[in-house]
Amino acid sequence: MTVAIETSKLTKYYGRSRGIIEVDLTVESGQIFGFLGPNGAGKSTTIRLLLDLIRPTSGSAHVLGLDAHRDRLAIDRRVSYVPGELALYGELTGRQLLTYLGNLQRHVDAQYREKLIERLELDPTKRIKGLSRGNKQKVGLVAAFMIRPELLIFDEPTAGLDPFIQLEFERLCEEAREEGRTVFISSHQLPEVEHLCDRVGIIREGRLLAVESIATLKARALHRLEIDFAGSVKVEAFAEVPGVRDVTLDDGTLRCTVIGSIDALIKTAARYEVVNLHSIDTSLEEIFLAYYGAGDGIAAQEADHAAA
Amino acid sequence: MLLRSVFTKTIRDLRWPTFWVALGCGLMTGYFAILFPTYSKILNMNDLLAKMGPMAKIFGSSVGDASTLIGFLHFELFSMMLPAGMIAFAAGMASGFTAGEESRGTIDVLLSYPVSRRRLILEKSLAILIACIVVAVVTGVFAVVGAALSASELPVGPLSAALALVVVLGLAFGAIALAISAATGNRGVSIGITVALMIAMYLIDALANIVDGLNTIRPLSLFKYYSGHDPLRYGLDLGDTAVLAAVTAVFLVIALVGFERRDLAA
Repeated sequence: MTVAIETSKLTKYYGRSRGIIEVDLTVESGQIFGFLGPNGAGKSTTIRLLLDLIRPTSGSAHVLGLDAHRDRLAIDRRVSYVPGELALYGELTGRQLLTYLGNLQRHVDAQYREKLIERLELDPTKRIKGLSRGNKQKVGLVAAFMIRPELLIFDEPTAGLDPFIQLEFERLCEEAREEGRTVFISSHQLPEVEHLCDRVGIIREGRLLAVESIATLKARALHRLEIDFAGSVKVEAFAEVPGVRDVTLDDGTLRCTVIGSIDALIKTAARYEVVNLHSIDTSLEEIFLAYYGAGDGIAAQEADHAAA
Repeated sequence: MLLRSVFTKTIRDLRWPTFWVALGCGLMTGYFAILFPTYSKILNMNDLLAKMGPMAKIFGSSVGDASTLIGFLHFELFSMMLPAGMIAFAAGMASGFTAGEESRGTIDVLLSYPVSRRRLILEKSLAILIACIVVAVVTGVFAVVGAALSASELPVGPLSAALALVVVLGLAFGAIALAISAATGNRGVSIGITVALMIAMYLIDALANIVDGLNTIRPLSLFKYYSGHDPLRYGLDLGDTAVLAAVTAVFLVIALVGFERRDLAA
């Protein structure tokens, strides 16, 4: 197994304010890795440290086995990066920008570049300053993929992309993985990346909480359900179901949260006449809370909801 | 193709500012060269300077003979307008080299390519050097053409020497602006400090001609090394030129070191 990214006690403070604290992250090659965390958790800080745009307060970072600071140029020949707040030279057209960036990188697969432009439906003749956020993002994606790098780093890549392009982006990531390349994607929304990633790392308030396979994470994910019944049902019957908590029954509507599989709950509900079933999207924050220090966190949050 | 490297891209970025500054300086110089015979008919420049007495020295320590075109250009342009224009151009552009990319956010993409921070600064610095030379050459051409049109005498050697010194002075202030912006990431601060320095240094040097007390701090003013000798009459003074070149080199090194060590703005 080779390692694409490895950080050791990587720490960054901006003056007194926290960036990230002692992050030990290992990303194996040939994976699509999701780097999840709420806004301000330290995702961009970690990425910018990997790229030597900022320097660590302490700890170290290695990319493709090379030191992030000392070997930056060697790393940059083999890595592509698309920042979240993607800013490009507005006075250039898409094609001019791709030419410029290609010249800086020096090894562009021109045929592949044209194919990418076609697949992402990019109009390369337009000036970048006139492009929408999504179209700008397309230019960034073409630039990132056209050099066929060993490692692709995307900071919140899907913001502003329409669903079709998002799908194409996911296909490109999967193709990269099939060719043995590594893709590192940060996001603050699990649903955006869960079907794409092999593994995810979760960062919160500057600390890496865990690195898990998607399957493990899902098994412990939090669901918030609302079920409307036609007849009367007994709260007790649901409260006893494993993984189910915070059950309330109000005018034939059962509300509860479930950690992990909802199978047992559904089977219990099936004994009654179900009129409707809603699954309410849970935020990443709630998933974290379910995952770590579960009960208290949720109880506290429920109390907050009640108070609000 | 101007998109081959950071250097050529910077040349591309600078082409219109360079065009307009060169045209402005050139037209101004050409205007004075063409109208010089008319001016000298209406006004006896040497009488005018004599009437101004010590105040005339503020416009240059050694105005010389303003009844010749070269003395007239010295008085009208080389004492203030041309150096100020060149400084504003060099410092204005250089202050944006790194700080502009940072505030626009393009630095993240640019430096994720195999371009070292040092190379970024050196290639952009080379571009502004060339741009300043272009401005000087265009100005010189306008001056020579203007002089020919008005059948005035304008020796090319001294004119070239004076223009070269304007370039060196501009680059010194450009390097100061670059150093401040590269070390702080703040273009506004860089321009503010550089302009304040330019005005303070100009006043120290100009007023030192009439206020004796200022002579002790006069060597701190870069204008001393600009106006201290008179290239329009005597050619370049190597010592003074070397001081300006050394200041440029020192601040370029400060820019390189300062930029290398910093966290870049997100």
